[in-house]
Amino acid sequence: MFGVGRGTSAAKRMPWYVYLALKQLFPSGRRFPFFTLISILGVALGVMLLIVSISVMGGFQREIRRMIVDTQGDVQVRAGGLLASPEAALAAVDTVPGVAGVTPFAEGVVMLAYQGRPVFPAIQGVDLDRVNRVVPLDRYVRVGGLDYLDDDSIILSSQLAQAIGARMGGRVEVTSPLLLERLNQNEVFLPRELEIVGIFEIGHQQLDSNTVIVTLRTMQDLYGLGPTVHGLNVKLDEGLDPDVASRRINAALSEVAPGAYARSWMEANQDFLFVLQLEKNLIFFLLVFIIVVSAFSVTSSLLIAVVRKTREIGLLGALGGRPREVAACFCLQGLIIGLTGTVAGLGLGFGALHFRNDMVRVFTQLTGSEEALVRFYQFANLPAHLAPGDLRLIVVCSVVISTLAGLLPAWRAARLKPVEALRNE
Amino acid sequence: MSEPVLSARDLCKSYPSGDRRLEVLRGVDLAVAAGESVSIRGESGSGKSTLLHLLAGLDVPDAGELRWDGSTDTGAVRRARFLGMVFQSFYLIPEIDALQNVLMAGRILGRTRAADRARAEALLSKVGLAGRTHHLPAQLSGGERQRVAVARALMNAPKLLLADEPTGNLDERTGEAVMDLLLGLCAETQTALVLVTHNAAFAGRCQRALTMHAGRLE
Repeated sequence: MFGVGRGTSAAKRMPWYVYLALKQLFPSGRRFPFFTLISILGVALGVMLLIVSISVMGGFQREIRRMIVDTQGDVQVRAGGLLASPEAALAAVDTVPGVAGVTPFAEGVVMLAYQGRPVFPAIQGVDLDRVNRVVPLDRYVRVGGLDYLDDDSIILSSQLAQAIGARMGGRVEVTSPLLLERLNQNEVFLPRELEIVGIFEIGHQQLDSNTVIVTLRTMQDLYGLGPTVHGLNVKLDEGLDPDVASRRINAALSEVAPGAYARSWMEANQDFLFVLQLEKNLIFFLLVFIIVVSAFSVTSSLLIAVVRKTREIGLLGALGGRPREVAACFCLQGLIIGLTGTVAGLGLGFGALHFRNDMVRVFTQLTGSEEALVRFYQFANLPAHLAPGDLRLIVVCSVVISTLAGLLPAWRAARLKPVEALRNE
Repeated sequence: MSEPVLSARDLCKSYPSGDRRLEVLRGVDLAVAAGESVSIRGESGSGKSTLLHLLAGLDVPDAGELRWDGSTDTGAVRRARFLGMVFQSFYLIPEIDALQNVLMAGRILGRTRAADRARAEALLSKVGLAGRTHHLPAQLSGGERQRVAVARALMNAPKLLLADEPTGNLDERTGEAVMDLLLGLCAETQTALVLVTHNAAFAGRCQRALTMHAGRLE
């Protein structure tokens, strides 16, 4: 291991304290020392848990970002109520540099009944000519398609369709708050009947269980909006900062749609994103203590080694070894444990991530919590994403903490005077 | 007359003992010529090892002067080049084999070339361990370990060898073999030897036999 065996060229050139540090951790012709194994394992477990936890948190963040952007665009324009002149606003936003597409939307809640079974989903009205430039709905339609959607049809989310037993080609009755208001005024009340022409699935439990899509005109009819809409969803060119773009859009809208305000997806969801980041930071902070605890174990083991090897340390001094080189020998042992443990931890962590869904499946089957996982965590599969910055932070923390663990023993070893160490005889 | 390899003049050393100071060395004078062998005997606690540590530059005398080859530089790097040491308890590093233990003396001076390795192998061969170069200390007998320690002490071709009870942990026959080796190699390489021992027979084999008494050499 480490190329320090007999006669390797690396071993020949190594300074004595590097060579001895490696040999004390990985001696020639002997079994892997227990101290080395336990120390490396401690660091590796800490790194593995950090990799898995931070990756899963990163995966949640990325999935949430994907869902927000896929359903709302990079920037959303709202007017506080209704956007009175959507055509002028659309034209203004379209001219903003970096805008790849813009589409109007109207939203609300309706009562939907299929064969007498009522549900109360959120409803989105979309402009069929523009929506695909902003929101990739086609990607999520599992059965049927957007091409079949017209003013007399509807697309249901998968779990909602399953819950009410609705099938393609079936008809649902949709009742809006406006119709209920008319009912209160003793007017004739006729729910809108729409044909199911598609079923979509985004992968987010809340959206998949409680959303329906209709054309913008249907939604405007149901809510009595006339030509107005609730807002615009904007898609930006790849790489453009949504906050910068939203400022440009606000400038463009200031004359044509006073009162309308564009917000990036980050700004619109900043509280939620802050909580997610806070959770991620807390998990990192707590799990890094596993490495700290293992570092204490490394310190304690190396301190014992300093005491046990007092005479050898004295001999090295007698042979001409300088105190700083003796210190380096012990400090390096901490560094080597840190590096080896980190590499092992990365391997274990990425291995665990690779098999994460299998492990979660086994765990949920054993505990009977499959449905709970989907219900509470929104995702059918455990997402994972490790940002390069997070990976760097984990590696640096692990190696630095382990190296620091060697400092105290190194200091003790450097302070030993050869004559006193040899007098121990 | 040429400059002695080792020259100690009026070396004094004392240690605190309760509220008094225990005077261990009270003005030791010693000069050792190149290739000369000198033995020092004395009762336990007479200060033999203390003197050896002072001569090795591992400890600082309270008074007096120490010169190696006429120079007062007795720092760690000079020590590594100038002298070799053999101890009663061998002090081999258990994690590395015999060859690497010998090489360690050179490695500390940055000597890691093929020629250094060849020298270490040749020294192990000279001490009769040609076939045991890759054995760990735990796989060697006491006599073999001390031979490795002798080879290590000679690795940097020192001018002076200090041996502190080198046969103290060995049986009589093995001790004799180690002494034969030590004296033979020192004579062959013209290395001066200062031998601290309790054994009168071994002391008698040196060119000069001194006794430590009341903190002085007689």
